[in-house]
Amino acid sequence: MMKRIRVGMMSFAHMHAGSYASCLEKMPQVELVGVADEDDARGRAAAEAHNTDYYKSYDSLLKQNLDGVVICSENYRHLEMTEMAAAAGADILCEKPISTNADDARKMIDLCRQAKVRLQTAFPCRFSPAVAQVRDIVREGRLGEIVAVKATNRGRMPGGWFVDSRLSGGGAIIDHTVHVADLLRWYTGAEAIEVYAEAGTMFNDIEAEDAGLLTISYDNGIFATLDTSWSRPKSFPTWGDVYMEFTGTEGVAGVDAFIQRLDHYSDENMSYGWAGWGSNTDMGLIRDWVDCLGSDREPSITGEDGLRALEVALAAYRSIASGKPECV
Amino acid sequence: MGGVHAGHYDALPDSRVMAVLDIRLEAAERLAESYSASAYDNMEKMLAEEDIDIVSITTPTPYHKKCVLTAAAAGKHIFCEKPIAMTVEDGLEMTEACRKAGVAFMVGHVLRYFPEYAAAKAMIDKGAVGKVGMVRTSRGGSFPQASGDWYADKSKSGGLVLDMIIHDFDWLRWSLGDVIRVYAKGLVEKAGEHKDYALVTLRFANGAIAHVEGTWMRPDGFKTCLEVAGDKGLITFNNDDSAPIKLAFTGSGGAGNAVAVPNSPLAEEDDPYRLEIADFLKAIKSEEEPPISGEDAVEALKISLAVLESISTGQPVEVLR
Repeated sequence: MMKRIRVGMMSFAHMHAGSYASCLEKMPQVELVGVADEDDARGRAAAEAHNTDYYKSYDSLLKQNLDGVVICSENYRHLEMTEMAAAAGADILCEKPISTNADDARKMIDLCRQAKVRLQTAFPCRFSPAVAQVRDIVREGRLGEIVAVKATNRGRMPGGWFVDSRLSGGGAIIDHTVHVADLLRWYTGAEAIEVYAEAGTMFNDIEAEDAGLLTISYDNGIFATLDTSWSRPKSFPTWGDVYMEFTGTEGVAGVDAFIQRLDHYSDENMSYGWAGWGSNTDMGLIRDWVDCLGSDREPSITGEDGLRALEVALAAYRSIASGKPECV
Repeated sequence: MGGVHAGHYDALPDSRVMAVLDIRLEAAERLAESYSASAYDNMEKMLAEEDIDIVSITTPTPYHKKCVLTAAAAGKHIFCEKPIAMTVEDGLEMTEACRKAGVAFMVGHVLRYFPEYAAAKAMIDKGAVGKVGMVRTSRGGSFPQASGDWYADKSKSGGLVLDMIIHDFDWLRWSLGDVIRVYAKGLVEKAGEHKDYALVTLRFANGAIAHVEGTWMRPDGFKTCLEVAGDKGLITFNNDDSAPIKLAFTGSGGAGNAVAVPNSPLAEEDDPYRLEIADFLKAIKSEEEPPISGEDAVEALKISLAVLESISTGQPVEVLR
């Protein structure tokens, strides 16, 4: 039997960790070696849920001769986690945003290059079949020349460390800018050059901003708006959305990445909710990353990709402070 | 739009169409014939010869001012289509002229009478979503066709920012209060190529933010969307999802015949244009201020002009009350 790819999970602070671990478990060529988490209860529960071992310290997990690690800590710890993983020679899949600030992100990219480990940013939306199909339509020129994009990546207020800007880097803007910022680069090959943003705390009793509306200008003349707000009420039937609508000289294309669903009305708790049946984008992300681990190729989505997307969010925060459009 | 107004004046119990004016006399005659009315191609002549109380103005925007000033000088009540004018100065002058002449003046920001927008405003007022934080509106379809192709001349129409999404600006101002700042990107320069598109951010004095999309580049039918998010709830609307009728025909020709057309009919008495004209007539009879004043129309115009300035300068623009 072929040698299995050894993967460890570094922290379950981010809720996406559970989904990534479930995807890894489904892959016969992967051995999920363990979960490390300084939060004992959280780490033990995760290890048990995913049929693997719990490690109290990251060092002890990283001594297990790992091929790769998934980092799902609080955003501000991504650098620290990356330093440890790179020192241990493990390739890295890091949850988005790559960091809370550009300096840390650059350090992560540089130290991974020096340590010759591969750093990938987790942007699962690229693995939505609908998102990929509309990318083809755009790149084939079927909409003519793209002039503008209207996008939303909204959600419910996640709570926890996500609303503590020291740990997360901000609020709704840093949480929900990077997915679409990455997709727009991936679609068009264009780089963001300027961002204007309006923001506020509108919906929740928190310190971080929960409303954000960005206007992004690109080096090829396209402009885009992105609503990053945590504006979905608790009664909303699903967690949120990733929606992009491209307007071109020859047509328009909209793509709603998570709209494939059943509507579910329940008398049990007088609720209405969505039951999604679309392809699991996390599975696509993990499958691609594991393929990368098992080969010599570069990651599909690099640390630089993560940094470029982060820079759009950081420019938005500068714009909010200055009241003016800010260069990316 | 003149035909629409005429139909409603004719159908309402307290008014009838006496005369139709158009620079193309044959167009005036065609419409006048339906109502056994007189046709004119000269406004002064019409005002001198006809015993009329009200003038409804549905010319292209640049001619609103001259028509309003002429009608006000003749002591006629005036209903004027939106946008009120191309400049704030013109709008204020028209409003002032009507006040001095003691005539009623109303501007057709008809979106306030669309039942879905009226209902959403009423829900906001009742606190259905709590404190409003983020509003999103969208409006548009393909590039409009009109006599002389005047929409393609941005100096006449101002493109969709001045002509179309001013509806949303007025509704938003009506629902959320004054706008303090705008930032926008758009293609108003491409109006000559029969293309226009804009994405607008509005900031309100009460802290709320709105995103307004306007498009004349959508080939799949006219669409409107509205979403109001507050701290206690969310209202969403889009015209496709709420259209009770969806038709699609197997055509004899090409693929173009397969376009599905949604339709959302209303009883005659609920027609938004009927309602706005009925409200105007009611205001005249009761000698009250019409519900959409010249000042309201000027405030909406200020937002559109600030948006156009932002598109042209690339900077946020303050909107002064």
